[in-house]
Amino acid sequence: MTLGDAAEPLVHIQDFRMDFGETTVIRDLSFDVHAGETFGFLGSNGSGKTTTLRALLGIYKPTAGIMHIDGKVFEPSDGARLGYLPEERGLYKKEAVLDVMVYFGRLKGLSKAAARSWSEAYLERVGLGGKAKSRLDKLSSGQQQKVQLGVTIMNNPELLILDEPTKGFDPVNRRLLMDIIEEHKRAGATVIMVTHQMEEVERLCDRVILLKDGVSRAYGTVEDVQEEFGGTLYRVTYDGVLPASHLFDVVSDDDGRAELAPRQGASEDKVLRELVEAGAGIRSFTPARISLDEIFIKVYGEEHELGEG
Amino acid sequence: MALAQHNLGTVIAFEFIRTIKKRGFAIATLAIPVLLIVVFGLLYASNTTTKNSAEAQKNAQFSFTYSDASGIIAPAGAQAAGGTRATDPAAAIEAVKNGTSAAYFQYPADPTKEPVKVYGADKGMFENGKYEAVAKQLLEASAQHQVASPQLTAALTGAVKFDSETFKDGKTAAGVGGVIPPLLFLVVFYISMILLSNLMLNSTLEEKENRVTEMILTTLNPTTLITGKIISLFMVGLVQVLVFLAPVGLAYLFFRDRLALPEMDLSSLVFEPGAMITGALLLLGGFTVFTGVLVAIGAIMPTAKEAGTIFGPLMAMMFIPFYTFSLVISNPEALIVQIFTYFPLTAPVTALLRNGFGTLNPIEAIIVIVELFVVGVLILRLAVHLFRYGSIEYGRKLNIAGTFRQSELAAK
Repeated sequence: MTLGDAAEPLVHIQDFRMDFGETTVIRDLSFDVHAGETFGFLGSNGSGKTTTLRALLGIYKPTAGIMHIDGKVFEPSDGARLGYLPEERGLYKKEAVLDVMVYFGRLKGLSKAAARSWSEAYLERVGLGGKAKSRLDKLSSGQQQKVQLGVTIMNNPELLILDEPTKGFDPVNRRLLMDIIEEHKRAGATVIMVTHQMEEVERLCDRVILLKDGVSRAYGTVEDVQEEFGGTLYRVTYDGVLPASHLFDVVSDDDGRAELAPRQGASEDKVLRELVEAGAGIRSFTPARISLDEIFIKVYGEEHELGEG
Repeated sequence: MALAQHNLGTVIAFEFIRTIKKRGFAIATLAIPVLLIVVFGLLYASNTTTKNSAEAQKNAQFSFTYSDASGIIAPAGAQAAGGTRATDPAAAIEAVKNGTSAAYFQYPADPTKEPVKVYGADKGMFENGKYEAVAKQLLEASAQHQVASPQLTAALTGAVKFDSETFKDGKTAAGVGGVIPPLLFLVVFYISMILLSNLMLNSTLEEKENRVTEMILTTLNPTTLITGKIISLFMVGLVQVLVFLAPVGLAYLFFRDRLALPEMDLSSLVFEPGAMITGALLLLGGFTVFTGVLVAIGAIMPTAKEAGTIFGPLMAMMFIPFYTFSLVISNPEALIVQIFTYFPLTAPVTALLRNGFGTLNPIEAIIVIVELFVVGVLILRLAVHLFRYGSIEYGRKLNIAGTFRQSELAAK
């Protein structure tokens, strides 16, 4: 796999549908990922994210639609330039760490010496230098995750597909993982990341897609999606009483802290003036964008409420 | 293509090295030669003792008394062996009892109807055998002396060699010497399947149990993986066979006499090209069928434990043809033999047996060989398909029909 024309998307998914038996789990899904961008693939458990990635990588055969990487259907022979960290993780547990890493390095086209030296350097970096000859099943879960990540990023892949990469990592190692992803991003790699860590998405991702029940619910830059789900919010602290108003809706209100969603045409000045004139006792007034976390809750909250109803 | 070959070599090396590095493999492989060495050692020691003891017993020198109602025993021979004729059997027995005589042999009037009675002073279970040995030796030597004909003696004692020659299509038939070489393929088939089948089953299950499948399937063509595994395990099997055979070969070369190993006259073996080629092809075809089935089981079953429930009956298929062994040789047209000859899981053993004993005609051989290769390749393809779509079903038994429905849908 080599990166094609920059104008062409590196990953192109169009009208993708996936049926398992009589059940359609994904329908009419379309999105592109461009070379060099970091793409967030969001959705609750069971929304079809992993299935989409597996179909993209040829592990599942799509029922319908086009799924291309660099203009063609993915073949294992293209895997040398791909780094895939699956959700279901595992390596040959009874083998030595270094042996497993060298094996995958060889499968990715590295020479034995190159695979070995790369692996040793990586293990040193992630604090596993002394574990190179240990069996994988003698390592802790977090240490095994690090080895798995090392196998994923070997040979500097041009496309990194990470399915819940932080799963199983403690905060320190999560930081390390994010640093490594950022390094690859800076080096020009394209990253597709499935995660439930919305702050990471806001920090790292250029664009996102939000999947619900196998259907795209939001797609675009992080700002586009925030705009689509309410755009700007006003965070206020007050010591009076919030008035009812035709200029805004109260999103949350708890112990002198509230979030207000402005209605169509209500400017910042108008909202603030109304609050002051109503004697709300405003102590602070901060415009902010709705967070992806809130969008996520909003989208899946509907489902929860429907489920309860 | 270059990458595929590189990957095949990488898989073979990885699978081979990690298999032979396993402690369990080393123990299992070395246990048999160690056991053989121990057995050979015991045999060596025992045979040395036995040979010495037998010689000592045969040549044992002790004084004894005897009575001979048959008239066969030659007095001179008996005297030379240390014997003295006894006139009163009761007194002779009493002498043995009170230790004044070592032994007393009582030869009856008709040794074909009555036993020779041997009495002796107890010298321990093993050494007591010397009395009977000397009594028998004395009887045989006396009888040969009376016959006075080495030829008649040889005929009576079965010391005559026979050399049979039969003819087939006007030419001398190979006989047993022609049966053994093609049957070696059956031995190789059994050894390879017994040694490798469990490894093959677990090898494909390992990807599934360790959840390595997704990493593998995005890096490596499953056909390359399966092919690499089969080749590496075949190499592992060769290593095992060599390790097993090493002590046998060394024992035969250097300690054959001491271990009482039979002498092999290789010149009597006949390597008939037709039977040998047929045997080799049946072996390869059978190996392909069973390997494919084992990989398929590994892909379908979630764990080795569950795979074992199918593995057992599958292995039984290799032994079932032996229940009809006599029919396979004497009446190959029997319905059961015909069924076993063509049913893919019993065909390798049945056809190899029939090929060895010369009851598999060329047309039958061609049909079975073609069938085994076609079925074998189809099963291997199915196995790769099941691995491709089944090994991702972590912790679940695969719905085989489901994997095809998925492919059909994808093809629409």
